[in-house]
Amino acid sequence: MTTLSRRRFLKTSAQASGGLIVAIHLPGCAFGGALPIDVADDGFVPNAFLQITQHNEIIFYCPSDEMGQGIRTGLATVIGEELDVHPASMTVVSAGSHEDYNNPEYAMQLTGGSNAVRAFYLPLRQIGADTRALILQAAAQDLGIPTSQLTTRNATVIAGDRHYPYGDFLVTASSLPLPENTTLKNSRDFQFIGQEITRVDAREKATGEAIFGIDIDVPDQVAAVVVRPPVAGATVTSFDPTAALASSGVLQVVEISSGIAVVADSYWQASRAAKRLQVTWNNPALSTVSSDSMRADLTAALYDGDDAVTDDTGDIDSALTSGAPPPQVIMHSAEYFAPLLAHAPMEPVNATLRLRNGEADLWTGVQAIGAAQGLIERITGYPRENIRVHNQYLGGGFGRRASLAHIIEVTEIALAVNKPVQLVWSREDDIKHGLYRPASLMQLSAAVDDTGRISGWRAKRAGGNLTPDYMRNSLPALMPNLPEFVLDGLTAATDYWLSRWSIDGSSVEGLHETYDLPTRQISHVTVDHGLPLTFWRSVGHSYTGFAVESMMDELAEAADIDPVVFRLKQLESKPRMYEVVAKAGELLTAMSVPEGHFLGFAAHSSFATDVAQIAEVSVTDNLIKVHRVTCVVNCGTAVNPDIIRAQLEGSVMFALTATLHGKIDLAEGAIVQSNFHDYPILRMDEAPDVDVFIMPSDEKPTGIGEPGVPPLAPAVANAVYRACGQRLRELPLRLA
Amino acid sequence: MIAFTLNGQQVEFAGDPETPLLWVVRDTFKLKGSKFGCGAGLCGACTMHLNGKAIKTCVLPVTVAAGKTVTTIEGLAGDHGLHPLQTAWITHNVPQCGYCQSGQIMAAAALLEETPTPSSVDIDRALSGNICRCGCYPRIKAAVLAASNSEAGAGDDEPALFYDATGQGGQA
Repeated sequence: MTTLSRRRFLKTSAQASGGLIVAIHLPGCAFGGALPIDVADDGFVPNAFLQITQHNEIIFYCPSDEMGQGIRTGLATVIGEELDVHPASMTVVSAGSHEDYNNPEYAMQLTGGSNAVRAFYLPLRQIGADTRALILQAAAQDLGIPTSQLTTRNATVIAGDRHYPYGDFLVTASSLPLPENTTLKNSRDFQFIGQEITRVDAREKATGEAIFGIDIDVPDQVAAVVVRPPVAGATVTSFDPTAALASSGVLQVVEISSGIAVVADSYWQASRAAKRLQVTWNNPALSTVSSDSMRADLTAALYDGDDAVTDDTGDIDSALTSGAPPPQVIMHSAEYFAPLLAHAPMEPVNATLRLRNGEADLWTGVQAIGAAQGLIERITGYPRENIRVHNQYLGGGFGRRASLAHIIEVTEIALAVNKPVQLVWSREDDIKHGLYRPASLMQLSAAVDDTGRISGWRAKRAGGNLTPDYMRNSLPALMPNLPEFVLDGLTAATDYWLSRWSIDGSSVEGLHETYDLPTRQISHVTVDHGLPLTFWRSVGHSYTGFAVESMMDELAEAADIDPVVFRLKQLESKPRMYEVVAKAGELLTAMSVPEGHFLGFAAHSSFATDVAQIAEVSVTDNLIKVHRVTCVVNCGTAVNPDIIRAQLEGSVMFALTATLHGKIDLAEGAIVQSNFHDYPILRMDEAPDVDVFIMPSDEKPTGIGEPGVPPLAPAVANAVYRACGQRLRELPLRLA
Repeated sequence: MIAFTLNGQQVEFAGDPETPLLWVVRDTFKLKGSKFGCGAGLCGACTMHLNGKAIKTCVLPVTVAAGKTVTTIEGLAGDHGLHPLQTAWITHNVPQCGYCQSGQIMAAAALLEETPTPSSVDIDRALSGNICRCGCYPRIKAAVLAASNSEAGAGDDEPALFYDATGQGGQA
């Protein structure tokens, strides 16, 4: 076989693919142009997602960022199913920035919202099937055997008793057009989807070989640490770099837009010198806010503020009129609170940037690489095609790594320092200077009729919105050429619009959707203190799930109905969740628990997935201990049941941290907590056993990274109530 | 000049003696498997072995290692391919984001050196200094038990199967 030069191969593949190289083409602001793929000398790139070499290496360019959720394994399984290549036989790498990798539901490269398997399931299967069909056509031509007499198995074409690697047919394949709309497999014939395939990253993460952003070490790189204002939004009034500059290893002290950067030979030297820096800051409006005043503001807003109504179905006022004649039998109202939270991923955010001869290379681990590229374009003015983003494994995301302040910082520092710069946030930076899950105060009021159905449901939430901060963060990245004043105007308009006339969907999501609530009113009062807010695993559901599912148990008790039966009565038009709750009820009924242990139940739909959880809890000496959590989930087709189980186990632990410990406080506008001693994360000795029951399904897969979080806190709170009679309506749970 | 043994090799460090061992290993000797998580000895991502004992190295001045033996995740298996814990980690699909796992494995390896058949409580005690934000704790414990000679670990090689593709569902 002729060995093709790299240039010819690239050209050939571009010609051969034509428009097909743009596999999932959606409008958006992402970068097009040449694919960010290093084509091997013997490599063939049929589309943006695959490279096949003559040595039969199959490289899969994974469009979603691996932050622990198992997406590299999941999407390799999906494309491998149709391509007929076992995920373990593939080389799975992170795709670069290119519009072909846009998340089909977001029209940009963004990993979040538990949608990656759902959104890429059919497109990647189609690409796998079309590529396999192309290889088969090429094999038929080369071998002189009709495709009907050929089949494939794990990256080989089989003709009778002869096996040929896919790599044997690349020259011919590159001269043929990529087939379209090849018929996909019937789910009966799945060989990888539904199997418990070992994670493709398990080995390198067990040997320490996995590379995260913080592990990048490019020649001549220097380290940077940024000193930021104690109160978000403050700016520098003056600073004295003398002591920091005298510290060993320090190269430079640079003022940037977010604070003062100390640049040194190593991180440890930069971090030591940063503590010696003298900076004075001005006092933004936030500096008058404390946790107590924030809570008081939320209370005032909830009861006296002008609320915006997002959903008003039926005659809610009559339904909730006290003393209304039967069939109404129960009226109940309660208030729930959830505090500010930080994400605290184990790997503090970091970025390494090399600016050289008008070209930029960024090594980092973020949930939005196209936006990172856009920010560098905006700040440096370099053309987009000269900016490469090398996304590494993310040491935890949970929403935190969709925000890119550190990319702005490293770019500003790199422009001031004529060397590659690695910026690392300390854990204290992470806890004190991040973006937070908004504090939320919710009031729920409901009436239950004599059939046990909820006849009126009013839910109102007061708190901050996420969208304005997201706009502030994302617009400059997505529209790098928009002038600053236009961006300011757009974000201000969004703030105003959301606080006056509309509702930020993520602020109220989860307040009613799980159940049939034919007569309901959902409303919102925006309270903006100026603290940066962002997505936190399961977003609005992380607090609304707590309120709604606590309320469901309260109503069931008031109506004297079993909590599972009560929920089933509100699920008559939601068959999928009905089955999940019924299954969980069945498991609950069969459970026997030791004396002193109590069971609590909760269920919540989010990210198109239905989850019910049963928490087994004991309360001794004012200490809440969660022993076991049983989860029932319907997330459609289970692409990899073991990863689904792992995500539910992890969601339980993540949510249990928030249930028992999680709280960020403000004092004079500054975050009080600073590290794991005062922002504790659940540890091994507090971890419950977790059982997971996956409902069998042939439907399209739905989300799994987040939906296990919302039901946990209310399941525990409902168990605590049974254990000791205390109804706890605030997170974290604190016994009186 | 501070001399110590790093994964079986004699090494010397000429920099600031106050530098924490973690940063010497990562920045000077370019071994990146040990991680920075908190800088305060609170999370265990930086766990290495010092003369065979698990120790948090992000606040440990390199001078403490002088004349001693340091082992990192890169040196754990020696010439044996994979340490039994690493094999169990893969079999049990333990890692999620993976960032804390080097520290978890080093802490677990030191435990097994001292206590070859640990109880569940022994594991809690030995690993409670290591935070996993992804919440891999049940799998970490299962993998440690499987890698140990303990009876509790025997027969626990397969993850609990709570899924049945036949449509009936199943329970562990």
